[in-house]
Amino acid sequence: MRRGGRWRAALPWPALLAGAVVVFGAEYALSQATLVATYALAGLGVVVVVGQGGQIALGQAALVGLGAYAEALLVAAGMSPVVSLPAAAATAAAGGALASLPARRLGGLYFGMSTLAFALIVEEALVRWESVTHGAAGFAVPALRFAGRAVDTPAAQAAVSIAALIGAMLLCARLFDSRLGRAWRAVREDEVAADACGIDPARAKLLAFVVGGALSGFAGALYAHWIGFISPEQFGLMFSFELLMLAFIGGAQHLSGAAWGALVIVAIPQAIAVLRDALPGEVARAAGLETVLFGVVIVVVVLLRPGGIAGRS
Amino acid sequence: MLAAAQVLISGVALGCVYGLVALSFVLIYKATETVSFMQGELLMTGAFGALGLHLGAGWPLGAAALAAVAGVALLGAVFERAALRRAVGRPHLVAVLLTFGLGLMLRGAVASVPAAAQETYRLPVAIDVVQLGPLTLAAGQLLVIGATVLIAVVLALFFRTTRVGLALRALSEDARIAALMGVPVARMHTLAWALGAGLAALAGLLLAPITFIHLNMGLIALKAFPAAVLGGLTSLPGALAAGIFLGVAEALAGLALPEGVKDVVPYVLLMLGLLLFPRGFGAGAAGAGR
Repeated sequence: MRRGGRWRAALPWPALLAGAVVVFGAEYALSQATLVATYALAGLGVVVVVGQGGQIALGQAALVGLGAYAEALLVAAGMSPVVSLPAAAATAAAGGALASLPARRLGGLYFGMSTLAFALIVEEALVRWESVTHGAAGFAVPALRFAGRAVDTPAAQAAVSIAALIGAMLLCARLFDSRLGRAWRAVREDEVAADACGIDPARAKLLAFVVGGALSGFAGALYAHWIGFISPEQFGLMFSFELLMLAFIGGAQHLSGAAWGALVIVAIPQAIAVLRDALPGEVARAAGLETVLFGVVIVVVVLLRPGGIAGRS
Repeated sequence: MLAAAQVLISGVALGCVYGLVALSFVLIYKATETVSFMQGELLMTGAFGALGLHLGAGWPLGAAALAAVAGVALLGAVFERAALRRAVGRPHLVAVLLTFGLGLMLRGAVASVPAAAQETYRLPVAIDVVQLGPLTLAAGQLLVIGATVLIAVVLALFFRTTRVGLALRALSEDARIAALMGVPVARMHTLAWALGAGLAALAGLLLAPITFIHLNMGLIALKAFPAAVLGGLTSLPGALAAGIFLGVAEALAGLALPEGVKDVVPYVLLMLGLLLFPRGFGAGAAGAGR
């Protein structure tokens, strides 16, 4: 029954992709699909930490950035992606573990503040540690290479990122149904009660950040290859909030929420671009239109559909 | 020695702005238990509002400043009525996202004005230099320190002596009992948001002589946030003191430590403060740990 529901939830996506290919052309549709899948993978990290673990995470972009920088530096050192991709995910997971440490002493909002501080310190460190990270100027990342072949066509990139997303979702589905997933939800609903039932809240939060960090870091590693250039400012506060908005728009408590949220977040700038071409007026040309629309979408979703697109409320 | 004193005073001045923005956070948090992530945008909107009325519409500076602060306060009240009211009693993240979304709308609206999006401006107030004995001080910095003292005194009187101020304090102690005692809770929430928004706009006007008016000036709220948390999130004097402390610490770090370190100082101090005093400095003195 549940399994059937899960497969049915996946049904709209191939249809959506096919429709996009027909309407926008294969190259554009596939490059957008790559972006959606990579954002969804990063958002899955937020779904684990915020939606399942119930923690306030205001600095997820720093973990994405750690993954991206680790991947870029390892590839620059000549390492194969078979080694470097897991290593990038592991780096971000370690970062997540570090970011979760204050949870041992702090709860709720105060812990959320500490994740914000963590992210800002990481961003500043990436800017200042110039000998390794090239500082604020950033640096170029070569294309992903698997077994001597470069993954540089939109179709190949889409295939890799969609495969990564599906793999991560299957893994998360298993995880959410496991003892650890139940522990996360117990801590989310009532930490004291969970503690009384023999669940170690500190361990549950630590593991939520490790898993969430690994997912976001993996997404960051792929993102570095797709974009081909990374700099610290890409992984700043705005991106952290974009990921939070992504999770909330899609539905933070649902696995598929990350995918729906990513679709909306990627679609907004594209919709604006279409609108600009369609409307000759001054309004459409205004620089702040995109920002306003982002704000409107998040406010409307939070007010009118608190469970997100995938939620049942 | 002289240079150190000047750095110290500029640190205090910047710290006063941190403190004022932190005050606006705390004011809202105490009354409504929601965290506002749009204080920086309100601050920026206030500064641009005054600038627009002064340079654009030709109002005298004082009237423009007053109108901008009142306008932003009204905006805060409208936001509360229209949206933020529904975040009360929901998880903190709901308010965080709502206020962030509203902030994005404000930012986008200001950015849509071509003249605002591209350039940085200065308000023609307190731009000269004051000689105080051997010290050379910017008048803007003295203005900020003086105004902050004045605002602190006014706020202290407001919360201690007026009925509305006492009602706000009762609300933050225990909302239910305050309601039973006849405090109109919904109206007080609106008032708290209006006060918080107005205070942020005021901070923006005071910041204008120190830095410039530009689209990203709201980023200063990111440093006021550590101040609010270090002060314990529920203490108004604590927020102001922590703001000044961070401003001075940052200025001294800029003097003593390598370049760039100074920008992370507030966050490092925030981390240390949170870990050593999980309930803020104020509570830390009463009983550390939990």
